Amino acid sequence: MRASDKIKVRQRRFAHVALIIISFSLMFVGKADLVAMRDARMSSNDFLAPVIDFVSAPIRGVETMADGIRTVASLRAENVRLQAENDLLQRWRRRAEILESENQQLRSVTGAVSYENRRLITARAVTAPGGSFAHTVLIAIGDEEGIEAGDPVITSNGLVGIVYDVGRAYARVLMISDINARIPVMLASSSWPGLTMGRNSEYLELAFLPAEARPAIGELVLTSGHGGILPAGLAVGRVERVDGDYVQVRPAVDFRNLGYVSILIGGTEGVDRSDLSQDSFFTPLPVEDDKRLLEGLNASGTRQ
Amino acid sequence: MKDQQSYFEKADFQSDLPKQFLILFVGIVLVLFEVGLAQWPFFYGASPFLSLIFMYFILIYHDELMPIITVFIMGLVADLLMSDILGGRATAMMLLSYAMRMGILRLQQSEFMDLWLGFAVSCAAVTLFQLIVFSVINLAVPAISPLLFQVGFTLILFPIGFFMMFSVQRLLQTLQVTR
Repeated sequence: MRASDKIKVRQRRFAHVALIIISFSLMFVGKADLVAMRDARMSSNDFLAPVIDFVSAPIRGVETMADGIRTVASLRAENVRLQAENDLLQRWRRRAEILESENQQLRSVTGAVSYENRRLITARAVTAPGGSFAHTVLIAIGDEEGIEAGDPVITSNGLVGIVYDVGRAYARVLMISDINARIPVMLASSSWPGLTMGRNSEYLELAFLPAEARPAIGELVLTSGHGGILPAGLAVGRVERVDGDYVQVRPAVDFRNLGYVSILIGGTEGVDRSDLSQDSFFTPLPVEDDKRLLEGLNASGTRQ
Repeated sequence: MKDQQSYFEKADFQSDLPKQFLILFVGIVLVLFEVGLAQWPFFYGASPFLSLIFMYFILIYHDELMPIITVFIMGLVADLLMSDILGGRATAMMLLSYAMRMGILRLQQSEFMDLWLGFAVSCAAVTLFQLIVFSVINLAVPAISPLLFQVGFTLILFPIGFFMMFSVQRLLQTLQVTR
């Protein structure tokens, strides 16, 4: 082997080792969530998203075609089903109108606050989760439209996730099924609070329920609004399995067919606080243990 | 003497760079296709590693056309687009390419079934590496069933991918001979 060849081999080996070290370091630098890294990530997404859109156009075309064939094949059955569903929905609509009017009357009587200061904007989902290690989607909307990290992303069926990275024309949404997603929720019927945790699978786990909570199969799980990021009352899913302390929730949204999503912009607190002072909005629990909360009980729950 | 010198100058300038760029381009397109494939409900959250099949084939038969930087870029693009741990797949793929280069002669002389088995081990190793890194960094273990589906489906697609690439290679060789 000539000397120049030896040098070349040595240089190549050095390049190999250097690249592996760089790549390995990137894993930890990326996890550190540095602003520069986030910006670089979103800039590259902004650059690559239109290319993905172009490459996946034939895939979407095939899917649409298959969907069309399925629809044509089951047109008659689908029509019967839709008519039945329409009848049911009309009955529900009448009931909803009555309940809405009653709700408004009760709100005006009790002075309850509402969160109607949010604006809804729709965007197309460009990607779907492709790997098993992250459940995120790229949506075709960016800070040009005024969206910010933390904005909730929904469909007509319920909560999809939260915007966590915003680029110029694209944003990335952390789905509620991601392993890093924690959503404060409550059980709709029994009102017990809890936390749904993603598992990077099609189900969520409902955790941190009080010991007294008895979630029922099929019970609706809604966002509780705790933490102020998400508004209360968004459908998260339904309880599907209860096995001791383990409660499995099926998401309300079918993430496999995510074409368009809506982003709730503004009002990050989820509550219209414009005419409420901080003191009257948030009242902390009494500090002294002996202060009476209810007749006969103090803050530590001791009868007195 | 002068002619001989000019001949060697020309030989020195014979570069693989354009072909390497082409391989990089195809590799990135395959990564993008992988991401696009996830839009099919069937592959939701577990699209097959098409780029890994491509890398495996090229490294066995044309390793000079796939320098480590190509593997790094392909892995990094996949990490970025799938929002995985940055560098996770890139590192796994680079380590695999390094290991493959060490036993390249044995792989080149292997039967298809051995290659398939080798690919199964490689695919499992890449996934396991990512799983370990993910679990260590996030202190949580993700659902295993999508991972098994992803690896399993990639293994099913391997003969098809391999056959297609072999056909393209044959076609290119025929064109080169005719030209």
